[in-house]
Amino acid sequence: MSNVLAGEISSLAEFLAHALEMEVESAERYAELADNMEVHNNLQVAMLFRRLAVEGDAHAEQVTRRCATVELPNIAPWAFKWSSPDGPESPAMEDLHYLMSRRQALELALHNEVRGLAFYAEVADRSPNPKVRQLAGEMAREEDAHVAMLKSWLSREYDDGTAPLGDLDPPNMPE
Amino acid sequence: MTTVALKAKDYKSGVKPIWCPGCGHFAVLAAITRALAYLELPKEQVALISGIGCSSRLPAYVDSFGFHGLHGRALPLATGLKAARPELNVLVAGGDGDGFSIGGNHFLHACRRNIDLTYIAMDNRVYGMTKGQASPTTAPDWAESKLTPHGTGVRRFQPAAIALAAGATFIARGYSGDPKGLTRMLVEAITHPGFSFLHVLSPCITFRPEQRSWKTEVHPFAAGPYDEPVEAAREIQADDGLGLGILYAEHLPVWPPHYQPSGTLAEVEREFLI
Repeated sequence: MSNVLAGEISSLAEFLAHALEMEVESAERYAELADNMEVHNNLQVAMLFRRLAVEGDAHAEQVTRRCATVELPNIAPWAFKWSSPDGPESPAMEDLHYLMSRRQALELALHNEVRGLAFYAEVADRSPNPKVRQLAGEMAREEDAHVAMLKSWLSREYDDGTAPLGDLDPPNMPE
Repeated sequence: MTTVALKAKDYKSGVKPIWCPGCGHFAVLAAITRALAYLELPKEQVALISGIGCSSRLPAYVDSFGFHGLHGRALPLATGLKAARPELNVLVAGGDGDGFSIGGNHFLHACRRNIDLTYIAMDNRVYGMTKGQASPTTAPDWAESKLTPHGTGVRRFQPAAIALAAGATFIARGYSGDPKGLTRMLVEAITHPGFSFLHVLSPCITFRPEQRSWKTEVHPFAAGPYDEPVEAAREIQADDGLGLGILYAEHLPVWPPHYQPSGTLAEVEREFLI
């Protein structure tokens, strides 16, 4: 399993603040990617990202409900304790391409969902606080279901082996 | 009335960016909105000024005051705005072509004037909007453009070194692939009193796909931030263009100077009596 956690999370409030940031950022990122793919007319991938954004919103809503009775700490954007540049579940913007296929987009989403799972699993494994370990373990099991869902989508993805999307007016046309 | 703290998302305008998927500028936009949210700056106290180019589209994507100005003229526009409305937090955004070529002279004088602006130069070492020509920061042997089939043969413009020589009081370099570090630098730059120059490596994956390798090539500056220009200059001389961090930060008087009035209006008017 990858090493996603870059520090110790010892309180329930700190853990939930991390979980909320990770889920909200991921949902917002997929919505942004969907917008971007629509702008570039890759509608198949845009639809997929839009669906992932909806799923992400639902996950974020679940975490928000868990936070209802907890006062969350205000963590600076650079002080979250994950090793990745962004939240573990957020696709890196530089991994995108306007001609990417649905399969590539799903592989990207699966990669990030696995990192989200690793985050919860590592907290469940490493936190000194038993309450944090218990909740993180619970959320890791939920995340495992999300990973399974994406794997099932990926297994059903039709791939006829034809060339990827083309562009009749590519950006590198001679001046 | 209680005020609700704005989140980074609240600073986005809702206009969909037209940048290529994978462009580094998305991360810069995210870092700007995160920094504004962290600093809890009211939208009406922020103005984002730009020139022309892919990166100069930023004001459209941020929900604050904004002005998408003329090519290379973002800094004079911002200077005028800050002089007239000193209470505003004025941010300036643009690319390497806009800022260091057509706007190069304004860059020098903005640095030495030390007016309280935050200048975010998003450098991808290419003119992307016009389909990939060499810019001032492009390596002399880059031969991928038909306009310069053998490269430009001209040495690179060195933004950080030139900013230091011209008198900038805050100089930092960030990378779009490190959004956490970039957000922190933006917060430091915005709160720095005086002209802060944030040079951001922001890959153009369309015309410079090889810049994806920056991810493994960037590294922190050996030391810094310095408050002594000679030490900062020494660091810059050893810089390979991919060093990250706050290089130089010094507190010097900010323009415009606050003069004490030398007399009352009535006294001045008496000077004109014949």
